[in-house]
Amino acid sequence: MASKILKATTNITGLAVSKDPHYALKLLYGKILRDLKKIPETSVYRKYTEDTINSRLAHVENEPNIARLERKINCGQIEEVIVQAENELMCVRRMALNNVWGPLIGQAPPNQWKWPIA
Amino acid sequence: MASSLIRHIARPVLTTSKGFLSAATHRNIPSTLVLLRRTQATAPPGAAAAATPNVPAPSLVRVNVEQRKALLDFGQYVAECLPRFVQHVQMTSTNELEILIHPDGIFSVLAFLKDHTNAQFSSLADITAIDVPTRAYRFELAYNLLSLRFNSRVRVKTYTDELTPIASVCDLFDAANWMEREVWDMYGVYFTNHPDLRRILTDYGFEGHPMRKDFPLPGYTEVRYDEEQRRVVIEPIELTQDYRKFDLSTPWETFPKFRNPIHDDSKKANAPEPAAASGNENKK
Repeated sequence: MASKILKATTNITGLAVSKDPHYALKLLYGKILRDLKKIPETSVYRKYTEDTINSRLAHVENEPNIARLERKINCGQIEEVIVQAENELMCVRRMALNNVWGPLIGQAPPNQWKWPIA
Repeated sequence: MASSLIRHIARPVLTTSKGFLSAATHRNIPSTLVLLRRTQATAPPGAAAAATPNVPAPSLVRVNVEQRKALLDFGQYVAECLPRFVQHVQMTSTNELEILIHPDGIFSVLAFLKDHTNAQFSSLADITAIDVPTRAYRFELAYNLLSLRFNSRVRVKTYTDELTPIASVCDLFDAANWMEREVWDMYGVYFTNHPDLRRILTDYGFEGHPMRKDFPLPGYTEVRYDEEQRRVVIEPIELTQDYRKFDLSTPWETFPKFRNPIHDDSKKANAPEPAAASGNENKK
């Protein structure tokens, strides 16, 4: 197994340095893309999330150096990117459950949002 | 419908309030939202400040147009991603984004704003309520969120009445625990799935919800120490001075659209009647 020079710390309490971020990210992005397929194609959320995840996945696959990868993704440290991917996975599953792409459930009653009220 | 139609164009770097140019991360919202149609939610809001050429600007407040546009783009993005719940998106004059949603969607919308990569509003700053008794759903709940990653804030607003419960977001944000307890205590809005919904600010045997508009300013009861019973007793209120109402009005015009009072006709008809109970100062 090739030895890598890992950074000493992420400087964030509770967030440990990831030993193989490329593997973790590819795994998570694969799961997200698979779960996104459960949402209908017409959904805007699916479209934009797929775009974002695909572009990040492309960066991950093409850039072996972690520091350069962090700069390319431009969203904080690679460990934070992993946390974002985990959150996105939970988000996708929740959106799929709650049917968020459907039509508006109900309009507010008239004058509900009117301000000033007079 | 090739996904390559949308290009992630590098957006201009946002300047912070002090004008310091930072290489901060910015959201990957495609600037050409070609596949979106303007929905009802993103129709031009009436409340937004729009400078018309004929009316001179009343003050020297400089509006950060870039920040406003970025927030409005994000608001439109949220409205398109969650069409099931988002009823309206609006901006205040101080560049604050407000997303108005149906109450059934509060958990989903907040989960989206917390977890989605382009949102990341991981900090719940406040949950408050506004009581407008004339509305059908009198309470308007406001959730203030902060994104540390993108340095921006958003407000999510829903509505409810006295009897309709609303989903608690304690599973998403730990801060929501005490905030929802406060809204329950002060307004009487019930939260389902809350781990521990009980009073937080009022006294232990207190009855009523103090921040409602129909709750009087001094309340209904007063407490005093009783020598005979040798404990604190709660009795109906007895003010030594009558409550005085002052009809004070500011010298500055607050609502230019409402210069002429609406109830002009009824006032003219009732003019000969004697004034109401003591203490009122008639300003008209």
